[in-house]
Amino acid sequence: MAAVKRLKRVAALQPGFISFKWSAESDDLNSGRRKRVNKNKKKNWNKHSDIQDVEEFLDDVRLQERTTGLCFLCLLEVQERKKGKKSKSRPLRIDLILQHDSLVPPPKDVLAYQQPNAKKLRRIAENAEKLAAMGVLPRRQKLLLNRRPATKTSKAKTAANNFPDRPYYDLWGGEGKFETADPYYLEQTGKSCVKRPEKLNVKPSILPAVEVIAPGGSYNPDFFSHQALLLEAHEVEVMRERAELRIERQLAVKQEDTATEETVFEELVEGLVEEEEEEEEEEEDVSIRGGLQQEKKTEKERKRERADKIKSQQKQAARVFTDKKQQLFQLRSIQATLKRREQRTRERVAQRKANQEAEKSMPRRLGRLKFQAQDLEIQLSDEIPGSLRTLKPEGSVLKDRFKSMQKRNMIEPRERAKFKRRHKVKYVEKRAFREIT
Amino acid sequence: MGGLQKKKYERGSATNYITRNKARKKLQLSLADFRRLCILKGIYPHEPKHKKKVNKGSTAPRTFYLFKDIRFLLHEPIVRKFREYKVFVRKLRKAYGKAEWTGVERLRDNKPGYKLDHIIKERYPTFIDALRDIDDALSMCFLFSTFARTGKCHVQTITLCRRLTVEWMNYVVTSRSLRKVFLSIKGIYYQAEVLGQLITWLVPYQFAHDHPTDVDYRVMATFTEMYTTLFGFINFRLYQTLNLVYPPKLDSKAESELKAEHEEDYAMDSESYLEKLSALSASLARVVATAEEEENQLDLFPTEGEDQENMQAREKEQKEQEAQKRLFEGLKFFLNREVPRESLAFILRCFGAEVSWDKSLCIGGTYEVTDETITHQIVDRPDMDKQYINRYYIQPQWVFDSVNAQMRLPVEDYFLGTTLPPHLSPFVEEKDGDYVPPEKLKLMALQRGEKPEEEEEDDEEEEEEDEEEDDVDDEELTEEKNLKKMEGTRAQGKTLAVKVTPGKVKPWETGSVGNKVRLEQEEKAEEKRLAIMMMKKKEKYLYDKIMFGKKRTTREVSSLRCAPNGCKATHFKFEWPSQSPDLNLILRCCGRT
Repeated sequence: MAAVKRLKRVAALQPGFISFKWSAESDDLNSGRRKRVNKNKKKNWNKHSDIQDVEEFLDDVRLQERTTGLCFLCLLEVQERKKGKKSKSRPLRIDLILQHDSLVPPPKDVLAYQQPNAKKLRRIAENAEKLAAMGVLPRRQKLLLNRRPATKTSKAKTAANNFPDRPYYDLWGGEGKFETADPYYLEQTGKSCVKRPEKLNVKPSILPAVEVIAPGGSYNPDFFSHQALLLEAHEVEVMRERAELRIERQLAVKQEDTATEETVFEELVEGLVEEEEEEEEEEEDVSIRGGLQQEKKTEKERKRERADKIKSQQKQAARVFTDKKQQLFQLRSIQATLKRREQRTRERVAQRKANQEAEKSMPRRLGRLKFQAQDLEIQLSDEIPGSLRTLKPEGSVLKDRFKSMQKRNMIEPRERAKFKRRHKVKYVEKRAFREIT
Repeated sequence: MGGLQKKKYERGSATNYITRNKARKKLQLSLADFRRLCILKGIYPHEPKHKKKVNKGSTAPRTFYLFKDIRFLLHEPIVRKFREYKVFVRKLRKAYGKAEWTGVERLRDNKPGYKLDHIIKERYPTFIDALRDIDDALSMCFLFSTFARTGKCHVQTITLCRRLTVEWMNYVVTSRSLRKVFLSIKGIYYQAEVLGQLITWLVPYQFAHDHPTDVDYRVMATFTEMYTTLFGFINFRLYQTLNLVYPPKLDSKAESELKAEHEEDYAMDSESYLEKLSALSASLARVVATAEEEENQLDLFPTEGEDQENMQAREKEQKEQEAQKRLFEGLKFFLNREVPRESLAFILRCFGAEVSWDKSLCIGGTYEVTDETITHQIVDRPDMDKQYINRYYIQPQWVFDSVNAQMRLPVEDYFLGTTLPPHLSPFVEEKDGDYVPPEKLKLMALQRGEKPEEEEEDDEEEEEEDEEEDDVDDEELTEEKNLKKMEGTRAQGKTLAVKVTPGKVKPWETGSVGNKVRLEQEEKAEEKRLAIMMMKKKEKYLYDKIMFGKKRTTREVSSLRCAPNGCKATHFKFEWPSQSPDLNLILRCCGRT
């Protein structure tokens, strides 16, 4: 295809052939009126350009090729190239003008051939040669040789941390590089690290890094320890079941909440009968209260009240006094109560201490989710393999490590982020389907 | 009164804490980077005591960090690297989008990286600190080294982990510091004693992975990144302490032996050396060639009294340890192809045995099955066609049990095709009075030096032992009674001649040694009695209570142990693989409802 295109182009360029333009003009002549066509579309080009003669020419070329084997066109091309070369080799006109065409030669500039201090320089060179023969180097060369080879300043690339052949060295062996320098200078230039607070070296949990499985988890366990492990797993399962049941119970509809005929009827009647009674009661309340407010105490009453008050105060004071007196005789019981109280506080302190101690090994609440222990790895009695070869490992070590880190409060428990769609997906029935249905 | 009004949440615990999101913004990091930084620097979230105060009145559950911790993080040079990396990614993406391939190349060449060395140094100022915290690193590296190279994490990380674990195993083999092994259903637990630190780690079984979905791989990878750095430095130091070359090199002698013709079949050239190292069958090259490991002798100081006793005890302990280290010395093992090669080779080499395996199983096998000098062949199949007469065919559990028992167990129980005795956990330490499985009792008897008489009398033997134990208990009880009586008389102000209670002659204390032992025991009893007499009334009450509790547990245990109807606990072991007995049924059998 590409070859054909090229040929077309070449044909159009040839001087001996009729060009497009010419054909178009002839068209115009024939039609009398020029037809205006937009040539910005390939379609129009195809439609309105006459390529009849080009096709003919190409046919001719092909024929020639078939008969003679040599392309007539190629010959043409070669000739043209030769012509072009000739024209290029000819000097420019301007150069010809500027050429020296006088027969008298220009005078020779003697000074251009003379060297200042030539004698001195020659002597120096001779001297240097002599010294070189003796093996003495000039000062400049000596300096050059003495110069330290330039250290490679190319940036040392830091290899990735997981590079398998990475080198290690004695990290704790030598003294630090900067320890001798001035600490203030180091701090200001950012060359010394900030000291790590001691508190950060305390582990967040006292649990060991690797907790060994209970003896019942052996691949070939002792009977009783295996049963003990099963029991433990069973208890966990029971607790889980109980929690589920509790939720179900709470969700269940109560028998009392279901509507019976009576309740339905009551609901219908509600509010029809009792309204009037309530209103009356309210009115009475208001009248009583109003009556009380309006009543005024007499002077006599006030006096009596005051006297009563003083009397009761005195009585109270006397009572307190006697009580205090009596306490002298209650010393033993008071002591007993004190003792009891102290005992209680002591117990509480001990309890609190124990709780704090227990909390150290417990997973803390570090985020939105609570820590959930992984399922106990167990093998039922009929799953226990007879030999190491037939053992089917239980659980995953990866998960065990992950959960262990969560349990030791090193990372917060998280759940995998769910994929959330921002916009709803619009359902479009595909055309192919639509045709079928 | 007067003065400025105190505003809420501007002092106290509200200012001591900072939420995760705020901390993230303060550091100008994305959440993933922040999380990574926290893991690397060892800064963990903190649960405040008064959540509502800290949360400024809200009770929404949030993750809190201590404010001072975050301020400390601000100084970390790695933070800048993280930001640089972020920019790098942005530039790279842009270059990709514009299809500027030279730009992409240039950017790739200048990819910012970071080192964790200074963080390790900062977190673990001394070598021992680091060694104490190595459990996690070991477990993690062993886990990652077993991952398939499927793109769950970087292949490079897996290779590095593999390299480090191989180095560690080689160190443990050379230093002979393995102590305990436990085959569990989860994986294999190992415990080693390195420079006085007990180190426990868990190794998953090979090919046992299903990748759980609820594990955050990015977090795990970050932890591993930190741990590999730590682990490498520790390995270097450990190799230095043993005068070994680091990175490990095989002994020149061993190397020439291992030169096989089929080397190319196993692995690429770059991998084959690691493979050879991981075979564990050859010893490592040392910096200073030493003919033999010199015995490290305990320094002797002239001491008196208690110190001397301690000294003797220590000496004895060390002797035992030395003996344990040479547990399998002189034995020649051959591993069949169905047994877990790596763990067995590791354990056997740790105790001085020679190991080999089939040529097609792994690189590094040193001798063939046909070798006449092989003493034990480890087999895990019901039957073997061709058997050699001069070697034992044993199941792999023998090796593990022997290591835990610190002695070579009799091989009869572990022969080809026999039902194995249970594999007990070496990590359980029974207090006196707890239930001890009969197998363990038997083992303890073996350790004391008793020999089970005959195979047929095995059961009887066990029974005897049980009785024996009971006897001992009874003795103690009678002693207690005597003591009480005596104390009563003392209280009345009478002096009593020191009476020797006639003790039974125990089987292991017959002969001239027996007398000595008995005397010692009497002395001890006397001391105990005196101590009891000196007790205050209150303490005495407590003591009685404790003793009562002990007695009760022993009673329960004995009822458990000698199960009713004359059926022994060991008989169960033949029952349970066939059917699963109900727990209640068992308990009823034992006479407890």
